[in-house]
Amino acid sequence: MMRVRGPGMRAVRWMLVGTVVTLLSACVKEPAPWDDTPNNDVWFAGGTQTVFDQGSGAYSQAFPGLTAAELAIHGTGDMAFEATFVSAPSPVNPGLGPIFNSVSCANCHIADGRGRPPVPGEQPVSTLIRISVPGSDAHGGPTPVPGFGGQLQHRSIFGTTPEALVNTNYLEEPSTFADGTTYSLRRPAITLSAAYTPLPVDLMMSTRLAPPVFGLGLLEAIPEVDVRALADPGDADGDGISGRANNVWDHLDQRYTLGRFGWKAGQPTLLQQSAGAYVEDMGITSFLFPQESSAGQPQHDGTNDEPEVSDSLLYAVAFYVRTLAVPARRAIDDPQVVRGQELFVNAGCDRCHVPEHRTGVNVAFPSVSNQRIFPYTDLLLHDMGPELADGRPEFDADGTEWRTPALWGIGLSQTVNGHQYFLHDGRARDLSEAILWHGGEAETSRERFRTMTASERAALLAFLASL
Amino acid sequence: MRTSLLAPIACGALLFTACKKESTSPTGDTSTPVTTSQILQGFAANIADANYTDLADKTSTLKDLISTFNAAPTDADLDACRTAWRNARNAWEQSEACLFGPVSSDNIDPRIDTWPVNFTDLEAQLAGGSTFDAAYINGLEDALKGFHPIEYLLWGQNGTKTAAQFTPREHEYLLALSVNLKDLTAELHTTWDTEASGYHQTFTTAGAGNVVYPTQRAAFEELVNAMAGICDEVANGKIGEPFTLQDPSLEESPYSGNSMTDFRNNMRGVENVYLGRYATDGAALEDLVREHDLQLDASVKQHIAAAKQALDNVTLPFGEAITSQPVQVQNAIDAINALAVVLEDELMPFVQLHTN
Repeated sequence: MMRVRGPGMRAVRWMLVGTVVTLLSACVKEPAPWDDTPNNDVWFAGGTQTVFDQGSGAYSQAFPGLTAAELAIHGTGDMAFEATFVSAPSPVNPGLGPIFNSVSCANCHIADGRGRPPVPGEQPVSTLIRISVPGSDAHGGPTPVPGFGGQLQHRSIFGTTPEALVNTNYLEEPSTFADGTTYSLRRPAITLSAAYTPLPVDLMMSTRLAPPVFGLGLLEAIPEVDVRALADPGDADGDGISGRANNVWDHLDQRYTLGRFGWKAGQPTLLQQSAGAYVEDMGITSFLFPQESSAGQPQHDGTNDEPEVSDSLLYAVAFYVRTLAVPARRAIDDPQVVRGQELFVNAGCDRCHVPEHRTGVNVAFPSVSNQRIFPYTDLLLHDMGPELADGRPEFDADGTEWRTPALWGIGLSQTVNGHQYFLHDGRARDLSEAILWHGGEAETSRERFRTMTASERAALLAFLASL
Repeated sequence: MRTSLLAPIACGALLFTACKKESTSPTGDTSTPVTTSQILQGFAANIADANYTDLADKTSTLKDLISTFNAAPTDADLDACRTAWRNARNAWEQSEACLFGPVSSDNIDPRIDTWPVNFTDLEAQLAGGSTFDAAYINGLEDALKGFHPIEYLLWGQNGTKTAAQFTPREHEYLLALSVNLKDLTAELHTTWDTEASGYHQTFTTAGAGNVVYPTQRAAFEELVNAMAGICDEVANGKIGEPFTLQDPSLEESPYSGNSMTDFRNNMRGVENVYLGRYATDGAALEDLVREHDLQLDASVKQHIAAAKQALDNVTLPFGEAITSQPVQVQNAIDAINALAVVLEDELMPFVQLHTN
């Protein structure tokens, strides 16, 4: 990413700055030159699909420059994303449940952003729990729990019993930075209760926080071969970081392919991700997943109204998330941010949070074609250590591995969602805690952070806030 | 295309405003200078706080009138409840022109204004035996509480319900819902009602060190985006969707026939934010614009007036108008979209240029 500019360019730049200084000679403080970064493109985190919105709607903007027809589909998908489903029969949006986790997409992906973990005593509002028993299904995925399926639905329509309730508690674990400053991490303790039928003793659970949904069309457009090229499953280069691709089942194409989406990269495409969320999170069936999540269970209502979301609407929703733009970076030329970026690289964070990618050429959809983007992810699985492990495999991802989440837009979390809960279950309460939870392949990087001076830590966090 | 244009503008703004302390501007008629900080304070006090105070007051009145109605149900008292619902609705719809902050991030919006109503479960609740206490209502699905289930109970499916038709369970549920709505709107109000804390403080202290709004420009952009956002929602969602699909069942406030009033109040909300006026008038975007660009000020005001007029030209209830007054409905959509364009393409670059 760091590209050295030729002397010619530099000279031009200083001429520009000189002009500005002359113009603004009354100023006490010289303004930062507008291109005082190694490369101006880094402002444009999403390539040409970048938007300059730093407010609460920053994650909700459509790609700039969509055609009128594309914008109409995006709008249709937007409405569907926000649509609240209700119990059938109903004139509007019927089909909810009978068991579910949420009533609309937007209820968890608030403002197209991040959900929050439950507080103790509260049932989950924008998190859910994936469940399975040991073994794998016909396609190598997790084995569903008999009587429950692969996801725990903790809510239900009136008159129906939810599968179980979720009890959340946190244990505070105090610790210190190398400089003696104290901090505390909170470890979630999740238990299930009021199960409608006994749960198996070998149950495996994995809590999942609703992640932001912008920029996904660009991640989908990164060539598979480029992602696989970053993989180093046996750590051949001996840097302590492996990076493995997940290989998952594509239900539309009926083949194995690269997993890209979800906390363990369990979904290959945005269409399948959307259809999976419809059926598992809301109990809304589609052509891709025509069977209710409650099928074979006593909660199933036996009605034959599938699919509950039309093919065109499902495609529109997938198109909606595919065409949500990426917010531009802010304060790139702030000296603290520049310093933080150096520290980010020095600590090796960029080995997994790979800053830059180039999307593939796609003549059918020029908006995502050949874009230089800065998502800060390699889309690969990494062992994150026992502290974060969920112990629940998902296709090729084992119980300690997680997919590197993208960092773009992360600095706007507080603005958009009013909180800074991070990681797969929202245990981290700010970016510092999120870093401190890193283990496994990221342990060295975490220790680099933990042993930084207070001003270095502040700089690193300022850099993350500029993303 | 917009991207490549905006970047240089934003960068230009950085260069030319970096040494300005704060923009100052005269108010409309006097020459008192108004700073950007005062505009943010004006919004927090005269719009957000004032609007949410009004909303909390009106939902409290609604709850009181429902209590009265329940004690001895008469058609006159039912009418009073309906009027109180409309009054509360007026305040809420105006506040939709600034849907950011706790109303969104604390999920208050879905808890008080989810649409559609879950009739099937609502009828099942009424037929069941649960006690409708505060905790029970709080735990209900969003589609079973808030403005629209209250509307459904007050007016009935066809808007012709009489006091005598209310069942004891309906009385009980209605009161519990009104208590819940009162509590949630009070909670919303407390996030803005104190200058030194909550979102009031977050918004007015925009600038270095503020996690949510690291610059004042970010807070100004938030205002303009919120105004443009409600225009898009009204034109292309609330009006556009039922109109395009010619489906009156998609109307937002069908039982009360209040949809057109909802839309007008959304436009009034946009006007409120621009003028800085709800109960009282104060420093606002208008003042900043008038200092630098009277033409833009006139354009924003003309477009707001045109949008309101276009809505007034729809004279039938919305559910009928989508089939019987298609020209007027389309004109309203166009006028509101035209306002959104002025806000996004003219007012937005303006505030980006004139704030730091």
